Amino acid sequence: MIMVDHLTKTYGGFTAVDDVSFTARRGRVTGFLGPNGAGKTTTMRIMVGLTPATSGSVRIGGRDYRDIPNPGLHVGVLLDASAQHAGRTGREVLMIGARTMGLPDSRVDKMLELVSLTPDESKRRVRNYSLGMRQRLGIAHALLGDPSVLILDEPANGLDPAGIRWMRRLLKSYADQGGTVLLSSHLLNEVELIADEMILIGRGTIVASGTKESLLSGEATSTLVHSEDNDALGRQLAAAGHTVSVEAGGLRVDCDSPTVGRAALEAQVVLTELRSGAAGLEDLFLSLTEDTQREGHPAAATAQGGTA
Amino acid sequence: MTTTDASSELLDVSGTPAVPFTRLVAVEVRKALDTRAGRWFSASIVLLSLAVVVIYAFAAPEDSRDFSDVIGVAGAVLGYFLPILLILMVTSEWSQRTGLTTFTLEPHRGRVVGAKLVGGLLLGAALILVAMAVAAVGTLIGGGGWSITADVLVKGFLVANLIAILTGFAIGMLLMNSPAAIVTYFIYSLVLPIAVGVLGSFQDWFADLAPWIEFNTAQGLMFQADGMPSGEVLAQLLVSGTIWLVVPFALGLLRLLRAEPK
Repeated sequence: MIMVDHLTKTYGGFTAVDDVSFTARRGRVTGFLGPNGAGKTTTMRIMVGLTPATSGSVRIGGRDYRDIPNPGLHVGVLLDASAQHAGRTGREVLMIGARTMGLPDSRVDKMLELVSLTPDESKRRVRNYSLGMRQRLGIAHALLGDPSVLILDEPANGLDPAGIRWMRRLLKSYADQGGTVLLSSHLLNEVELIADEMILIGRGTIVASGTKESLLSGEATSTLVHSEDNDALGRQLAAAGHTVSVEAGGLRVDCDSPTVGRAALEAQVVLTELRSGAAGLEDLFLSLTEDTQREGHPAAATAQGGTA
Repeated sequence: MTTTDASSELLDVSGTPAVPFTRLVAVEVRKALDTRAGRWFSASIVLLSLAVVVIYAFAAPEDSRDFSDVIGVAGAVLGYFLPILLILMVTSEWSQRTGLTTFTLEPHRGRVVGAKLVGGLLLGAALILVAMAVAAVGTLIGGGGWSITADVLVKGFLVANLIAILTGFAIGMLLMNSPAAIVTYFIYSLVLPIAVGVLGSFQDWFADLAPWIEFNTAQGLMFQADGMPSGEVLAQLLVSGTIWLVVPFALGLLRLLRAEPK
């Protein structure tokens, strides 16, 4: 539904988006993942015509965004929940949207209810809203025209854990009903749980894309094992031709866990712990965007991930 | 995995007409009045002109309390503040960042700008009518006569306020920042004519030149003239108006159509 084709955006000498191509399909939630400043927002802004592309194009449902009549009815957009007039009430923000799109006022109340903003809260000015409330208001605004495509930039930002779960369910059911959802985040966990497909972007270029499974399938298999006799087990595995290294009081072996289990059986060693030692999505994400991270030592940032 | 054929990946827009221009205008008028700032500002203009007119009705000499005099006073107050309403209509999209939403719901920015201008003119017309009513109140209080010439009404009231509205709009588009635009507008409408007047009083050649290069001065000459302004005054209006209104308006429009709402 959303086709990004060789999109490039340069500001003077700085390339914010560098030859980016991907597709977000109907009935799926596509996660757009990357560290801060990777070019996610710029790409989304180009999608909805706020920023002109230097080269390349974006088509939504086969059209330029500009060529979609009354676009609010087809594409729901949330780029920055804080970009609202501070002196307007939450309800009025939605009223303006509804009036522009030509929707009845009842739609506003329906959306307020959907995002759990109480009538009392909706009459407060946006200035007095917490970030989470602004985010809910922004999501309500994006859903106002009952669009078939959703483009959301960091929609979970500022939501509490219950709110994040609520949003996950909302977007999931939206996609299940045939909608197209593209959401960006710099937090992997947020996207991992909801996205059917993921686009990983770092410093303006796409570093990987695909489903979670296909992204991880390329990773070398590895198993972490603890046993009552690591030496004996290590010898058995080495004899079978596997590479074994000592790690955190146990062993890391370059094969899958059934193979390790069989080796333990043959060596008559009792296993105390056996788990996949493959790098998770987070490690993959960090390694793929390694040279684009702001932190000098990305490995240090993942120390709790167990692979440092 | 959802299987999708090519056609289901297309948007069906056959049942959706574009947003009608009239609806955009209605939304822009609503946006100008739906914040506390917008509402109070409009109300303040009316209250201020009422206060000034009432004071005028008591303080002015007996022979200057006619409707045609009072309406000039009400119009002057309106003329100073009306442009700010127009400035805010344009700049709030950037200063309050609502442009992100506005230009997403209507990506054809020219239509949004047109709707703002038409909406601003409608608001201005409504305020002009209110100011006329205020002037009528002032005339009643002062006990003046009701005679009024088309000259006063058209030149001193309608043309002056139309120019003020367009000037505010141009400055708003050019600067895209509420405080900067309001300060610039007051420098333009208050400081500049005084500076030009002072300079002109010292140098005769500058006094002759001033109406050609300073719009307020040229407008002042137009208001002073009885009936249709002379060819020279019209030419001065045209030249100074090009410098201070047409060029800024065109540059502002270009800037607004191209700028990236952040």
